[in-house]
Amino acid sequence: MTRKFSEQHGGAQRQDRPGLEYAARRVSGCPSSRGMSGVRAILLTRSLSRGWGGICRATLSGTPFSQVPSQILRSLHCSAAARNSDSSLVPHPPEPPRGPAKALAPHEELFRQAPEAVRDKASFLQAVQNFAQHNVHKRGHVDFIYLALRKMREYGVERDLAVYNLLLDIFPKEVFRPRNIFQRMFVHYPRQQECGIAVLEQMENHGVMPNKETEFLLIQIFGRRSYPMLKFVRMKLWFSRFKNINPFPLPRDLPQDPVDLARLGLQHIEPNLSAKVTIYQMPSFKDSTDSSDLAKPHILGIQSPDQQAALARHDPARPIFVEGPFSLWLRDKCIYYHILRADLLPLEERKVEEIPEEWNLYYPMQLDLDYERSRWDDYEFDIDEVEEGPVFAICMAGAHDQATLAKWIQGLQETNPTLAQIPVVFRQGGSIGEVLAPSPGLEEPPLSPPEGQEEEEESDGNRARDESEWSKGQRL
Amino acid sequence: RSGGEGGWVLRKRNAASGVGTGEWRHRAARAKLARPRAEPGGGACGLRRLRMSGGGLFLRAAAVARSWRALVAFTASRRPLRTSPRGRAFAKELFLGKIEKKEVFPFPEVSQDELNEINQFVGPVEKFFTEEVDSRKIDRDGKIPNETLEGLKSLGLFGMQVPEEYGGLGLSNTMYARLGEIISLDGSITVMLAAHQAIGLKGIILAGNEKQKAKYLPRLASGEHIAAFCLTEPARSARARPSPPIPTILSSAHICLGSGSDAASISTRATLSEDKQHYILNGSKVWITNGGLANIFTVFAKTKIEDSDGSVKDKITAFIVERDFGGVTNGKPEDKLGIRGSNTCEVHFENTRVPVENVLGEVGGGFKVAMNILNSGRFSMGTAVAGMLKKLIGMTAEHACTRKQFSKKLSEFGLIQEKFALMAQKTYVMESMAYLTAGMLDQPGFPDCSIEAAMVKVFSSEAAWQCVSEALQILGGSGYVKDYPYERMLRDARILLIFEGTNEILRMYIALTGLQHAGRILTARVNELKRGNVTTVMETVGQRLRDTLGRRVDMGLTGTLGAVHPSVGDSANKLEENVYYFGRTVETLLLRFGKTIAEEQMVLKRVANTLINLYGMTAVLSRASRSIRIGLRNHDHEVLLANTFCTEAYYQNLFTLSQLDKYAPENLDEQVKKVSQQVLEKRAYICAHPLDRTS
Repeated sequence: MTRKFSEQHGGAQRQDRPGLEYAARRVSGCPSSRGMSGVRAILLTRSLSRGWGGICRATLSGTPFSQVPSQILRSLHCSAAARNSDSSLVPHPPEPPRGPAKALAPHEELFRQAPEAVRDKASFLQAVQNFAQHNVHKRGHVDFIYLALRKMREYGVERDLAVYNLLLDIFPKEVFRPRNIFQRMFVHYPRQQECGIAVLEQMENHGVMPNKETEFLLIQIFGRRSYPMLKFVRMKLWFSRFKNINPFPLPRDLPQDPVDLARLGLQHIEPNLSAKVTIYQMPSFKDSTDSSDLAKPHILGIQSPDQQAALARHDPARPIFVEGPFSLWLRDKCIYYHILRADLLPLEERKVEEIPEEWNLYYPMQLDLDYERSRWDDYEFDIDEVEEGPVFAICMAGAHDQATLAKWIQGLQETNPTLAQIPVVFRQGGSIGEVLAPSPGLEEPPLSPPEGQEEEEESDGNRARDESEWSKGQRL
Repeated sequence: RSGGEGGWVLRKRNAASGVGTGEWRHRAARAKLARPRAEPGGGACGLRRLRMSGGGLFLRAAAVARSWRALVAFTASRRPLRTSPRGRAFAKELFLGKIEKKEVFPFPEVSQDELNEINQFVGPVEKFFTEEVDSRKIDRDGKIPNETLEGLKSLGLFGMQVPEEYGGLGLSNTMYARLGEIISLDGSITVMLAAHQAIGLKGIILAGNEKQKAKYLPRLASGEHIAAFCLTEPARSARARPSPPIPTILSSAHICLGSGSDAASISTRATLSEDKQHYILNGSKVWITNGGLANIFTVFAKTKIEDSDGSVKDKITAFIVERDFGGVTNGKPEDKLGIRGSNTCEVHFENTRVPVENVLGEVGGGFKVAMNILNSGRFSMGTAVAGMLKKLIGMTAEHACTRKQFSKKLSEFGLIQEKFALMAQKTYVMESMAYLTAGMLDQPGFPDCSIEAAMVKVFSSEAAWQCVSEALQILGGSGYVKDYPYERMLRDARILLIFEGTNEILRMYIALTGLQHAGRILTARVNELKRGNVTTVMETVGQRLRDTLGRRVDMGLTGTLGAVHPSVGDSANKLEENVYYFGRTVETLLLRFGKTIAEEQMVLKRVANTLINLYGMTAVLSRASRSIRIGLRNHDHEVLLANTFCTEAYYQNLFTLSQLDKYAPENLDEQVKKVSQQVLEKRAYICAHPLDRTS
């Protein structure tokens, strides 16, 4: 049971990275810390081409040449930008010190027409339409598309396929299609192709699957044998393979209610489907206007029948511990849980479960033979397993103080009467802030401030904390 | 068995008449005493009842004639419970690759006198069942009407195997099996009677002392009291709320005859009262057939037993509990799929005071009692099913030969003919197996035939389900409607696979009991092999080499002085070959798995299946040989059936045995386990819908 728990624990930690986005990162070739060499190869070719593009762009449009190598570097190495959830291919707006005054990105005004208006899909579409209307010749469309890509998140349309298609539709059709073999051999209109790839890249990062219309547009704009089209085909291939790769799927939109979220988290940690979630306390607020002022935090717990039975068997002379808080990431949300656990029984005190002689009325449960399984038929691997003590229950609460957790233990006593006899020791970790900060001494120094995706080792780090840090054990 | 050359004279019957007349008078007196009790049924059916009770008296008179044998049986039954095998049992020897010919050849016979006697029994019972029993009404009302019950009582069918001095018919196993063929015409009555005497009162016959027998058996045999067997308990989680019991228990327990297989889960408790005169019984039992009708219960409960070393342990003890002891209540009858006329319900005991003299067997010896009861009664299912199938074949053949389709009779279509061949073959095999087993059981000395009986049960229940299903296929729509009896037969047949130990559990029993036997004998050899004794290793290697080169196995079944007739000689050779390689396979399996084979259920299932086939082959060969030699009617048909079955079974066995080889490509166990593991992990069918898309 305990081992299962920890496995699941690990799994739960991993799943904060939504399957599709995770897959997407691999496809795009922005390697995570354990990128595959194959992916790297793709990446290399592409960044070479990007280098090409950069050079061409530099000569053609007169952008500062110095930008190119940095871009190659950025996509070759696992950079902070790669870890960002926003596209790595979208160039950042020029930094303020470069211009004498605060230079606006071109076309920025299109998105600032009605600052007081709500930022939603309609206004975003309006901006895109305005661009098309004002700019009959579509001058500067690449810049506009980059800008629009950056703005998508603000408008909450980063997961809308129709919007992406609309952005692609801005490109003039048939102009960038290579017409002869030489054009086909070299990257034709590299800046535009780059931009097309950037659109697809951002779709990828948000897990948006391109559709027929995207394909049609790309063919119309860049032709069938172009880099955006290659990207499209690869997305089509790998997205479908990776879409359901996560064995612990999460709903795309997490519930907003903390109680529902906690329930979801608990069910993700506990692999046993018979386990029951109990709400020990519903949240209530001191005064209705200020929601941050919690009078009673929510307390939810989960316990499976096996855990209940294990707790009933537990020797009351041995204390059990409430430990936590440990963090669990569900997509971009972090929640904290506590466990009720006991130490592993010393070897000499363990009882071997013996098969009672008079058990099965129908057939012998054991054969009375003195030879064992032959070595040739023993397929069990010789595994050194680190045994852990049993975990009896898990809880998620709105507050992590001892009073709240004591309420949980009280609630547990109703279904586990033996708990009343067992001393419970509260081993509280530090404040939540401490948990949030990446603890030093991890194998991999964080390259960027954690953005809600890459915190797998977090809880292990927490567990490894020194005992001295725990507050003094206290009996309930 | 009397000597060598005589073969199968089941029992000597000499000078029975003198004792018989005395018995007769005694019986008549008892019958007279019993008469007034039967009266309050009403005047209208008085005549019929008189006639029937006449028939019953006649039956009893015939039964009395065998009192000498009964006396023998009686003295023998006082022996302690039979636990140790008497001689070398046939099925166990098969595990060593040997055919114990003496046990199965020639086919058991009954003497002419006995045959006449059986036929005298059969006539009135058959008449009663065809004329008086309305199965459809029983099924619809969910109840056996009182007059039917009275009829059964007056025919003496409530005490078929109760010894005669206790007022039963004292039938031998063979005769009991023969009557079972007729009784099975109604499923509910069969189950009700089986619960009464095959398990309900069997405990008293097997383990009861003289006083208990004298006190309870006469009234049970006459049907004045009905017995029930209370073993199964509700699952632990359901115990907090007594009803309804959760249906998961169905999978592992056997419902209708009322027993679960997990003895450790029994929580009904009997505590000794302060004056040490009574046990106070508390607890509930579920799935008790006859629970609502019974007056006498065989109840299994936990008692505290002090061990020899002074430690106190909970052990199971069997009790005879009368309803009159007080505190016995029962729930409402369960609404069942089939055998709807039988009464199945929960029984609760609340502070029931059971006198200490009502302990059945020893205190703390309940487990053995239960095991013996359960093991003793299984063989009779073979003949019961055969009786039902024979009738079914008649009815469907009538349909197939009259109904026309595409201006052809149904019987002319190959696919229909196939089904009749299947039904005939299965019936023939199960009949042969059942009567062979009954004959073995009737030999003096209480042979241990529990494996054989279990094989009969497994084969016949599965054949019943298959055949009834095929019959429904022949009948088409009319098989599916309630106007005809076929759908009822289908529903009734389904329980056969479940009760008296589910077939899965019995397969484990068959395989493990045999492997235990073989394992003990092979211990020395296996140890030498493991130690690497050169001679043994060389011997084994040489044997394997000869096996692979193709050896001709001869166990002496065929040939000039062979046990089987030459017309089934080929089949006998097939049997010999199968048995030889089965023995080899068992040895290999034991070498490979050792005692951990108890966990390899899929391997055990194959072992059991092969053994059932081998036993079936032996039974039909033995029976067909006898039929030819004594020139029974249509023996050529029997030869045909025997040969087809043996060939089919031979190839099945070859396939199964090859699956048991290591790394056999036919063996998909690992995959099967993986599939089920993945399904069970999610507790759902996990494939995506075929119409789903990823984009």
